[in-house]
Amino acid sequence: MPDLAIETHGLTKRFRSQVAVDGLDLAVPEGSVFGFLGPNGSGKTTTIRMLLGLVAATAGDARVLGADMPHHVDSVLPRVGALVEGPAFSPYLSGEANLRRFDAADRHAPRGTRSDRVALALERVGLSHAAKKKVGAYSLGMKQRLGLANALLMRRELLVLDEPTNGLDPQGTREVRSLIRSLADGGTTVFVSSHLLAEVEQVCTHAAVMSVGRLVAQGTLDELRGSGSRVLVRTPDPGRARAVLAELGLPIGETAAGGIRSVMDASGDELVTARLGGSADAAPEAIVAALVNAGVRVRGFEIERASLEQRFVDLTGEGFDVVA
Amino acid sequence: MSSREANDGPVGVDARVGRSGGAGGGTLSLLGSELLTLFRRRRTWALLGALALIPILIALAVRLSGGPPTGRGPAFLDQITNNGFFVGVTAILVAIPLFLPLTIGVVAGDAIAGEASHGTLRYLLIAPAGRIRLLLVKYAAAAVFCVAATLTVVVVGTLIGWALFPIGPVTLLSGATVGVGDALLRFLAIAAYVTVSLLGLSAIGLFLSTLTTVPVGAMAATAILAVVSQIVGALPQLEWLHPWLFTHYWLGFGDLMRDPIVWDTFGDNALLQAGYLVVFGALAVGRFLTKDVLS
Amino acid sequence: MRARDTGASHRLTRWIPAIVAPIAIGVGVVLVPLQANAAVDLPDLTPAELLEFAASSDVESLSGTIEQRSELGLPDLSGLTGAMGGGGGSGGGTGGGTEDFGDGDGDSGSGSDGDAAASATDLDDLISLATGTHTAKVYLDGSNARLQVLDRLAERNVYLSDEGAWIYDSAEKAATHLTVDQAALDALEAEAQAHHDEARERLEAELGAPLPTPEQLLDEALAKLDQTTDVSVGTDGRVAGREVYELVLEPRDADTLVGEITVAIDGDTGVALAASVTARGADEPAFSVAFTDVSFEAPDAAVFAFTPPEGTEVTEHAVPIPTVEELEQWKAQAEAESQAEAAPGDEAARPVVHGEGWSAVVELPAAGVGGAGFDGEAAAMLGALTERVDGGRILSTSLVTVLITDDGRVFAGAVTADRLLDAAATGR
Repeated sequence: MPDLAIETHGLTKRFRSQVAVDGLDLAVPEGSVFGFLGPNGSGKTTTIRMLLGLVAATAGDARVLGADMPHHVDSVLPRVGALVEGPAFSPYLSGEANLRRFDAADRHAPRGTRSDRVALALERVGLSHAAKKKVGAYSLGMKQRLGLANALLMRRELLVLDEPTNGLDPQGTREVRSLIRSLADGGTTVFVSSHLLAEVEQVCTHAAVMSVGRLVAQGTLDELRGSGSRVLVRTPDPGRARAVLAELGLPIGETAAGGIRSVMDASGDELVTARLGGSADAAPEAIVAALVNAGVRVRGFEIERASLEQRFVDLTGEGFDVVA
Repeated sequence: MSSREANDGPVGVDARVGRSGGAGGGTLSLLGSELLTLFRRRRTWALLGALALIPILIALAVRLSGGPPTGRGPAFLDQITNNGFFVGVTAILVAIPLFLPLTIGVVAGDAIAGEASHGTLRYLLIAPAGRIRLLLVKYAAAAVFCVAATLTVVVVGTLIGWALFPIGPVTLLSGATVGVGDALLRFLAIAAYVTVSLLGLSAIGLFLSTLTTVPVGAMAATAILAVVSQIVGALPQLEWLHPWLFTHYWLGFGDLMRDPIVWDTFGDNALLQAGYLVVFGALAVGRFLTKDVLS
Repeated sequence: MRARDTGASHRLTRWIPAIVAPIAIGVGVVLVPLQANAAVDLPDLTPAELLEFAASSDVESLSGTIEQRSELGLPDLSGLTGAMGGGGGSGGGTGGGTEDFGDGDGDSGSGSDGDAAASATDLDDLISLATGTHTAKVYLDGSNARLQVLDRLAERNVYLSDEGAWIYDSAEKAATHLTVDQAALDALEAEAQAHHDEARERLEAELGAPLPTPEQLLDEALAKLDQTTDVSVGTDGRVAGREVYELVLEPRDADTLVGEITVAIDGDTGVALAASVTARGADEPAFSVAFTDVSFEAPDAAVFAFTPPEGTEVTEHAVPIPTVEELEQWKAQAEAESQAEAAPGDEAARPVVHGEGWSAVVELPAAGVGGAGFDGEAAAMLGALTERVDGGRILSTSLVTVLITDDGRVFAGAVTADRLLDAAATGR
């Protein structure tokens, strides 16, 4: 097991009576590109704020790069680049001046190389041409790029990017994805929060899913997908098919979405579905054999590797925005 | 740290190796950046410009009307026609009750709340600026603005007085007359006195600024407090409270226009302002350290 | 799993400086003066010894700051004085700063409609003197002396020297120069001394014994004082950082409003450093004057120098020095007048003293001062200050009571209103 770049135990944040984050146990392996998924308002940003020491946890603790937060913000944060809840800059300063200002706030950032590092960061996000322009005149996408540049001012061990592609055009989105990949290739752990599934699916190695303040799943993408696979059986004998599937130990009586259910097919056949996984570890061929042996007329059999999207709809009960 | 390493970007290796190489930007560096930000802002210059208008308007009004009726208007006003040096002192006197507190309120009230409203507060904190360090720097910047504000009034006043009226040795309150050099030094001392007078208000503004994410609220509250304090200071029923008001010595700079100079007020004022600075500074630290930055 | 409550306890510790700072300042404010007052123990003196010690003081030069406070318990006048514009602008350093807002001018008042406003301003000045705090600097060196009253953004100065006196008021931009004919003064002094010696010789010859020494005179005076007043030495204290004796005078007369008078006498030099008058039953002095800092080193000679600045209105005033003959003449005249006072017809024209000692009441006859002298705002102010009683109006403060009868007579004294009414009714 690799070291964890981010680790939380029972992390909880209560605002007055409202619980924003509830007993979060997060484990982000070092070197991973970790997708932090959840609908808007599920507590992602509050969690990130707690990880960065902006918000004090009501209970539980968080470790970032091996050190307790928020007690070690001063030693941890210089090693962390972050984009939190959108970029924010002083509109009356140029993009360059804004970056210099944030860089000056970091005690560990050497002054001698400030100009070089600022220029380089602007170049990496493709903003060199607008460096001297006042941020007030920037478009949303340019601000987003400037925010990324700010996170890249120093060499970082961990990047925390909250909705990094917000406001970017498709070209910008692709650039950000490749940027994240190149950073990850260099060994930087990238923690990307998003409500956009496709974004996560395309770049992440790991993911976690938040729903109303709780963590509902986390692991590698394969682990997450795996537990969401389904069996689809097309048959005119739905009752018998259900009994066989139940006998095999495929989950029954979970949620309506996850349990066995039948749908009337146009041809008069019924489509029986059951979730794969659970306690039983039945191979598809074994399921077919069992069905046939029981005299079920199998007219169609399919293992549906659930898309992450379907999986997350199942987990959160909400849909995700689909990337354009 | 070489630029070659910087070129490698934030990839791999131990980031701290690169970091230990160069001289890190200290608190002074952050203060420099903060001052640059403050004085690059058009609003700051607008505030200073408004303050500069006070002596200019006074001088022009006196010049055009051919002198005010004696015995009316603020003290020193009727001396301007004889000696242009009094424009600066008169302007300070006019600016102290309202205009100076207003501009200080804008700058100090904006200190934290303004960053919060722009969202830049979170980026400064994760840079990481350090919460106490950021407060210190913000306060120092407000104090520098106090210096700039009072100097603007005094210097512009002295210059415009010089330009429009005869100048010469200055008659002090005690009736003694001092030369131009001595008088200019005294004006600088008055600027220092007024700056010190505004330090307590700056601390209050900074504290109020940590309470909200709406800068206008903190600015208005700071300016209103300055006015309320002066009103309370004028109510004889609350006389027991007067020595504790941060505005109590605001007009005491007249003691620098005596012969010999009475420094007691300067000391008492400095002590009182230091008290306000300690109390409201501590409150600001307490509030800011425990504050959840949600903006 | 190390779930723990990171919230509440941590937040509390971070507020500690905010809680400690005001407490520390508060403790400092209370403790520092306490410590300054701690453990003053001067050698014990009897009242007579203390007075003698004070009389023998030979301090030639000093400089210091004097603070004068009055809490006479006047009725609230803030609304009224505010309406008249200005307010107590000359109250050195008391108020905030609002009085200099806009066109408000500290001293002269915004009204300029004739005498009514002027007399109202005078009253206003009087009231500002009777309430609040005033600060002044005193410089003394041999025959040079200077009193510098520190008003806010203004100053009043009195310079005294062998050449005469300068009075300078920065607000009025007016200087008055009082000059004395030094030769005449010297002559007078010499002559007076001669007269004195002559009289002394004559007296001693008549009595057949030398005149009492100053000590004996003091004892005699004390004995006489003791009939009306309890004189004692109070607890040693500290004034302006110096150890002082406290001389306490307590009237034995129950009719007077005066509770006690204290004078603080420097334990080292014998200079009086503070005095206060406390009303009967009150804790805080109604009137007090005290050095807040004092030094017995000779001040820089420059502080005594005064040349009226340009643009100042200078009034020259030569003080006539009478010769001894003139003085004798005046004395005789005064005696004649005081005898004439007993004559019934003339009674109304001059002040009359009823009773004696602490509860004496002074009667000013009608038309001397009175309601008729005021009109407009001044009358309104007088109305607000005074209280209607049967037979007149009463102005009561914690130390002094004034009765203005309906027929225009004025009675005043450090006594209760009843005593004044009684005096007005019975003429005693």
